Order: sequence, then C-alpha cells, then structure tokens
Amino acid sequence: MSHHKLEVRELHFAYPDRHKAVNGISFSARHGESIGIIGANGAGKSTLLLLLMGILLPQKGMILVGDVEVTKKTLPMIRERMGMVFQNPDDQLFMTTVYEDVAFGPRNYKLSEKEVEARVMTALDHVGITHLKDRAPFRLSGGEKRAAAIAAVLSMQPDILIMDEPSAGLDPKSRRRMMGLLQSFEHTKLITSHDLDMIYDLCERTIVVKGGEIAADGPTVEILADEALMDACGLELPFALQNCPVCGSKAMPQQHQHSKK
Amino acid sequence: MHMADALISPAVGGAMWAATSGVAAYSMKKIQVDLDEKKIPMMGVMGAFVFAAQMINFSIPGTGSSGHIGGGLLLAVLLGPQAGFLTMASILAIQALFFADGGLLAFGCNVFNLGFYTCFIAYPLIYKRLTRNGHSEKRIFAASLLSTLLGLQLGAFSVVLQTVFSGKTELPFGTFVMLMQPIHLAIGLVEGLVTAAVVAFVWKASPDILENVAKEKALGSISTRKVLTGLLIAVLLVGGVFSWFASANPDGLEWAMLKTAGTAELEATNKLHAVLSDIQSKTAFLPDYSFKASDSEEASAAGEEAWPVVNAGTSVSGILGGGLTLLAAALTGLTINMIKKRRKRAGFEC
Amino acid sequence: MSNISEALYNMRFMDDLARRNTLVHRLHPLAKLASTLAFLAAVVSVERYEISGLLPFFFYPVIVFALAELPIKPMVKRILMVEPFIIGIGILNPLFDQHIVMLGGVAVSRGWITFLSIFIKCGLTVAAALILLATTGMDRLASALRMLGIPKLFVLQLTLTYRYISVLLEEVGRILNAYALRAPGQKGIHWKSWGSLAGQLILRTFERAQSVYGAMCLRGFDGEYRTGDGQRFCTTDLAYMAVWVMFFIIVRFVDIPGLLGLVVTGGIK
Ligand SMILES: Nc1ncnc2c1ncn2[C@@H]1O[C@H](COP(=O)(O)OP(=O)(O)O)[C@@H](O)[C@H]1O
Ligand SMILES: [Mg+2]
Repeated sequence: MSHHKLEVRELHFAYPDRHKAVNGISFSARHGESIGIIGANGAGKSTLLLLLMGILLPQKGMILVGDVEVTKKTLPMIRERMGMVFQNPDDQLFMTTVYEDVAFGPRNYKLSEKEVEARVMTALDHVGITHLKDRAPFRLSGGEKRAAAIAAVLSMQPDILIMDEPSAGLDPKSRRRMMGLLQSFEHTKLITSHDLDMIYDLCERTIVVKGGEIAADGPTVEILADEALMDACGLELPFALQNCPVCGSKAMPQQHQHSKK
Repeated sequence: MHMADALISPAVGGAMWAATSGVAAYSMKKIQVDLDEKKIPMMGVMGAFVFAAQMINFSIPGTGSSGHIGGGLLLAVLLGPQAGFLTMASILAIQALFFADGGLLAFGCNVFNLGFYTCFIAYPLIYKRLTRNGHSEKRIFAASLLSTLLGLQLGAFSVVLQTVFSGKTELPFGTFVMLMQPIHLAIGLVEGLVTAAVVAFVWKASPDILENVAKEKALGSISTRKVLTGLLIAVLLVGGVFSWFASANPDGLEWAMLKTAGTAELEATNKLHAVLSDIQSKTAFLPDYSFKASDSEEASAAGEEAWPVVNAGTSVSGILGGGLTLLAAALTGLTINMIKKRRKRAGFEC
Repeated sequence: MSNISEALYNMRFMDDLARRNTLVHRLHPLAKLASTLAFLAAVVSVERYEISGLLPFFFYPVIVFALAELPIKPMVKRILMVEPFIIGIGILNPLFDQHIVMLGGVAVSRGWITFLSIFIKCGLTVAAALILLATTGMDRLASALRMLGIPKLFVLQLTLTYRYISVLLEEVGRILNAYALRAPGQKGIHWKSWGSLAGQLILRTFERAQSVYGAMCLRGFDGEYRTGDGQRFCTTDLAYMAVWVMFFIIVRFVDIPGLLGLVVTGGIK
C-alpha cells in the first residue's frame, strides 16, 4: 500500500515577510500511522500542514504522497487523497447549510448528484450528525461545527486525514466525543495539537516542532514523558503523566488508586 | 440613502434594474476573464465585513454625533472597482431581503446609487488618479476623502432624479436637491475621513493589498474605458427615454398596458358591471345611500385634470368598499388560520 | 453594540421562519419569487392618487401570512420599522400639494392622499419582500437566482457574504465591547482609533478570506461553482404563481372596492 505513504524531505518555507516558519523538516508516515505534531504557539505546525496540502508551496524540499510529488499540477489528485480539517471550522464551513457544505467537495469531483448524496449521507452518518444536515453551519455549537467540518472532509473519501487542533475550543464532553470519532478512523492521521492528553490517547508516534524544525520524533509514550524535552519546547507533560495531585505518585490515573483516608 | 419601492415608479425601477444588471454583467465578465477565482471568497467575506462595519459608530470630534463607514469606495480600493461593485450589490441584496432596507424593485436604484458612482466614477476619476504615482498617507487621505464626497454627491443627486421621475412624491426638484446635496456633503465628509483613516491603516500595515489592486490594469486599458463609456451612454439613453416616458405619463407602465390591452379590459369591466348591478339590486343593504349631488360635482371636477375621486357619492361608496375589502382580506386570513388550527388539532400534517 | 445583536437576532429570526415546513415554504422558490415581483410591480404601478385601488392587494400578504403560518406581531413590527423613513419623505407631500379635493363629503388636501398612498405602498412592498425571505430562505433564493441564469460566481459570492455576516457581526461586537470596556463614557470610536480599529478588522478579514479560499481549493474548487439539481418545478408551483399573477392583474385593472361600494350603496344603475 505504498500510495498511502507520505514523505516529507528537507522542507523550507518562509512567509512573504521573510519569516522562516518551516526550516528543513523531514519525516515520513507509513500507511495507517497516527502521528501527533506538537509544539508551542508559532512553532510552525499549521504552516507545515498547509504545505502538505499544497495551499502553500515550499521554497525548498519536496513532499511525496504515495509516489506523487506535490506540485501545482498534481494538486487535484493529491487533494483527493488527503483531507484537512481546519483549526477554525468557520473558515472551512463556507456554505449555507451543512448538506451543501459536505456536498461541495464531491460535486467538484464531478460525481453524479446521486453519488454525491450517498457520500454526504455516509459522511454525516459517520460523524453522527445526519439530523443537522439542513442547518446553517453558523448556527451550530462548537462540537457540531467540528463534526460537520470533519464530515466535509470525509465525503471526499481521503486516505490521509490531516487535522489542525481538532480539540481546540471544545468542552470536555465534545472533546471526548471527538476523540472517540478520530479513534474510529482507520486513515493515516496527522494531528497537531496543544492537547497533549489527546495526542497521548490517539497517536502512537509524536513529532515535536520547535522554531520550524523537528526537535524530536519518536514513540509518543517516550516523547511525552521526556520532561526536559517538553520544557525546552514550551510544552508540559500531559496530565496523564504528571504527578498525581492527590498522592504525588507518577503513574497512569487508571493504574493507581488512592488509599481512601 | 436607500430608495424604497414605495417611492419609485415601475419605469424608473425597471430602467435602473437594467442599468445595474448591465454593469454587473460587465463586472462579472471582467472578473472571470481575469481568472481570479481567489477574488470570489475575498468579495464574499469582505461584503460581510462592510455589512458588519456599518454598525460601528465613529464619533465625530466636537459634535457629539457619529458617522459610519460608507462601503462603496472602500471596496473599490481594496478589491478593485468591478469586484467592489458586485460586493456592494450583494450587501444591498441582503439588506433589502432581511431588513427591508431598500426594496426589491428599488434594488437597481440602490446598487447604482451606492455602488456605481463610487466604484466606476469616483474611484477611477479621483482615487486612481491621485494615487497614480504610488500611495502615501497624504495622497490616500486626499484621494479617499474627495472620492467619497464625489460618489456620495452623485448618489444623492441620483436619488433626487429617481424620485422626481417616479412622481410619487410632491417634492419639487429644486427643493429636493437643496435638501439632499448639503446633507450628503456633511455625511460624505465623515464617511470620507473614516474611509481615509481605514485605507491609510491598511496601507501601512499591509501595503501589498492596495498595491495589488492598483496594479490591475482594469481601468487603465483602453478597452475597458470603451466598455465603460458605452455603458454610460446606454444608461443615459435608457434613463433618458424612460424618464421622458415617465414624465409624459406619470405611470408609464400603465400607459403601456392600456395601449396593448386596454380595450379588452374595459369590455370585461362593463360586463362585470352588468352582472354586479344585477346582484346588487338583490343584496344592497344601503340602497338609498347615494349622494344625489353627483351631477353638479361632476361638472366642477371635470374642469380639472383627471382626478379619480369624482364625487362624494362614489367616494363614500369607495371608502365603504375599501373598508369591506380590507375586512374580507382579514376574514380570509382568519379563516385559513382557523382551518389550519383545526386540521392540526385533528392530527393532520399541514 | 445593541444594533449588532439586534441585526444578528433579526437575521436568525428570518432564517428560522424560513426553515419551517408549510405549504408555502415547500413551493418552488421561483414560483414565490415571480409572484413577489408581480405583486411589487402591480402595487408600485398604482396611481399616486389612488387609495382604494391599493386595498385589494392586502389579500396577498394576509393570505400568505396565514398559509405560511408567519407570526403576525413580529413581522408587522418589522414592516412598521421601515415606515419612518417613508413618512419622512412622504410627509412633505401635504405641504407641497394643498390642492383640496372632496372625499366622502370631507375636504382633504390632495397631498394627504398621496402621502397615504405612499404609506400603504411601503407597507405592502416591505411585507412582500419579508414574506419572500421568510418563506424561502437565503439558500433557496440563491438557487432560484442560479436557475434564472444569474452568474454562479455572483451567487456564490452572495451566499458567502450571507454566510459570513453573522461571523463578522459577532467579531465586530466583540471588538466594540472590548473598546467600550477600556473607553468608558465614549459614545463612538474616537477619531484616533478610526483607522486602526476598522483596519485591523480588515486585515483579519483578509486572512479569513484566504483561509476560506484555501478550504475551497482543498475540496476541488477551480473557479467553477457546482451545485445540486435543485427543486423541480411542478404544477402546484405553476398554479400558485398563476393564481397570484392573475389576481394581481385583475385587482390592478378592476376597481374592486369601488364596485363593492357601489353594490352595497346601490350606486349601479
Ligand atoms: N500568513 C502569515 N504571514 C506571515 N507570517 C505568518 C503567517 N502565518 C503564520 N506566520 C508566522 O509563522 C510562524 C508559524 O506559524 P504557525 O504555523 O501558525 O504556528 P503554529 O500553528 O505552530 O502555532 C509564526 O511565527 C507566525 O507568526
Ligand atoms: Mg496553528
């Protein structure tokens, strides 16, 4: 299944104001892998994702999806394979009803209206919001918006899912639901987040970005537990790995119980 | 400055719809030819911005009152004239639909008054010219202020013309002009200053936005100028013909309809009349209620221009009939309501 | 600030009405658009001295209100809110046209009649526009525009503006709140902040537009706006449209209140 592979080689990108946001990033993702990308604000995570999707084009380096390089020419094909959920669902849901929004992508790939409907309904069903299909996106709650934005990407049936801070701004219940949803996807996943507990639960591998460069890349359990590394990159240990506030012991909450006093 | 449906005649409304559609079609073509699909979301979101920004009160120093952002010129400066015009049209459409701010028939008038003069006259003639040799804070201020003033003056004058040609109000042309122009000079001054401040800020923070638009050859090239002149001539022609038409017959459309279908309709009325007189002889509940003065008054009224309410007799029955009509309308509404409620109670889907 | 929440509330109110499911709501948007335009043209073409000719037109809003189950009070309030502007302009009529005519045995200045005529026309036309939106909604109106051959990109842009108005209204509201909290007692924005306040918002809006464009591209947007098939135009729609248009024509050319009055007063000889 080599066409689900994603490879990034020596990527460099500077914004027009010459600010170097991505500075020589290389990594590759295997089929079905779930990778967390973490780093402080302004580390360059969103920029990296925009580069992967071809919204920004790198000044140096290359991106390969399967065996196809991301260039202006291959963009339509690349974007059919990779779907990106934006950090702000308001930027992504630009149509006036959820249905129309989810149908926007399939229609642009010139599917018949029947097929479009089938895809839209499957996608909405997958994220559990079929009942919202005729609602206006701007009248939805934060969690519903996020779900709609994911459905809009799923309807394109991508192999690789890319998400920018999917849990930002969600209340705990919605966040939990979102995580369950993401866990149910078998896609190759790239997720950026400050929500280290989510990364801990969802991703087996983590890449730490600092100042546009990769500071670390390895198994999530090792990286998130590295206190010195986390601190140097402007991050903290996830709660799951911090000292228990009640008894001070350093262990999984589900693995230890307090002796009741 | 929004025109309302109630103030315009169909002829004026139609002429302005035609003119606006022409300009919009040209603008759309232009944007599509430039293949600038990036413009579409920009226009959409900027339209929403102008809509929202019009709610901001900018206080005018030393007066205790406040002014607003105009929109037309700002959009032309930030997006280019064609995109600015189309965006203005969207904003006005939403205002007309959601807030009944300016009517649907008057939509053409409004887009023209608020969009055309700013984007296609004031912008190229003043703003573009003054900033031809590059932007600077001073130039931006002068250009924005003067363009806004001109755009608003033209728009206000256009409102006067449309109102007068429509003939729905009794305001004499001179009085109306003397009322509108100075008011809009004051409004334009504030709008112009606010626009200038905003444009200057955007230029300082992100000069490429303005410079990209300024680079567009859109209005420098001869072909577009030709198109524009052609359009202007067409508008003047259409406007002129329609307004002549409108002034000769206060209700031009009516005149046209009479010409084409007049006789048939009159006959129908006569027949209806006969049937009704038959019915009324049986049903009239106020059989003697008819002012016998009709003959004498008819004579005095005939001397004047055709004035529909001819005599007291018919006018009383007219008022009565009007009252009954409204009553009937209300009863119909109530009946439908009642039927609906009953069906709902019975568990029907409505 | 209050007018922002009011505008937001207003738009949501109309959106909610449009999402109802009644006989009128289910009709094809083009049928409703055509009826509305016919109504407007007929009302506006009524002569300025005529009042009675306008009255039968009240049947249209009343019947559609009832059929579409629109709430009367809030809608009438919205209609009346537009009237002050019309009163402002129309009130001058009695000043400029003091020609006296006899109406039902009472002497009336002709200016008052034209004023009343404008007032009624305003009510009717505003009602018609609001009814159109409240029974159709912006999405279906947009699809009607597309069917009419309005360029799709214009429709897309109109739809986007509508979509982002609430986002930007909320944003402006937040900014004004933040400003007011730090500038107590100021009525509006001080001139020193004119440029920066609105200018910042423009820059952010540009960024947002770029994201939106990016989101569109990611899902295959290439300058072509593809839409669904849209609702089919069936006989019910045609009937609805035809009945109203016919009604408007009849009412426009036959003086129904006059005839009705004559019938009850026995004026027909
Ligand atoms: N449109 C832009 N223009 C200029 N600089 C930008 C732009 N977007 C982001 N940056 C800068 O690039 C850097 C990386 O930003 P971003 O990728 O958004 O970081 P993250 O998502 O990790 O918080 C930041 O320093 C930011 O200020
Ligand atoms: Mg980010």
